[in-house]
Amino acid sequence: MKYILLMSSTKAGVSGYRTWAQSDRDTHMQTLGAIVKGLVETGEFVATQPLAEPTEAKVVRGENNGLPVTDGVFPEAKEFLLGYWIVDVDSPERAYAIAGRISAAPGPGGIPTNMPIEVRRFA
Amino acid sequence: MKYILMMNTMRAGAGVPAWPKADLQAHIAFMLNLNRDLRDSGELVQAEGLSFPDQARQVRAGKDGVPITDGVFPESKEFLAGFWIVDVDSPDRAYAIAARISAAPGPGGAPLNMPIEVRPIMSAPPPEML
Repeated sequence: MKYILLMSSTKAGVSGYRTWAQSDRDTHMQTLGAIVKGLVETGEFVATQPLAEPTEAKVVRGENNGLPVTDGVFPEAKEFLLGYWIVDVDSPERAYAIAGRISAAPGPGGIPTNMPIEVRRFA
Repeated sequence: MKYILMMNTMRAGAGVPAWPKADLQAHIAFMLNLNRDLRDSGELVQAEGLSFPDQARQVRAGKDGVPITDGVFPESKEFLAGFWIVDVDSPDRAYAIAARISAAPGPGGAPLNMPIEVRPIMSAPPPEML
């Protein structure tokens, strides 16, 4: 069964990430890279994708004279998708375990970020 | 350039809509037709629908690496209902496709005009993140 693991944050959270020391960011990204490598080896990996900055996000609502109506204004509290992992696993528990590893990726000073990862099954 | 078009919903509006069957069928036919067009134009990378939010779980790493799962979300949380990844020549083309999705028919065939969030996808992590 396929699950998508969603990592989201607010604009404030994204600004916080930019204040991390470069070495902390490197360690964080290396950990996430190692998790993907492990998923490729177990055959559970389907896809992963980081998204560009929330500042580039637009919301589209309907059309006006055939043109899309776009808007870049979002509530401060809105959570933006930062990236996702799609995995093909045997059980929801396995999806949760992978999400737990992602959540435990190190942040500043090597301390796990424990950031929440939303786990959703594909319909 | 690749874009993700995200259809979000609040938990309140997140079940199968209580629309007349003919309206639901028209909505689904619209979406299938859209996907066919995007496939024909070579712009469709991936499209997925997600299961309903009652099955969503939030996971945080606990001590000893044991995941802590939780299904409690704020009432105001937006849930991803589905997404399309498209490979297009311009942001305007991505917005046009999003507008078409937004205008999918609802009850009585009236356009829903639901908001579709459009985000560029990174082709590769920026060098400073590797």
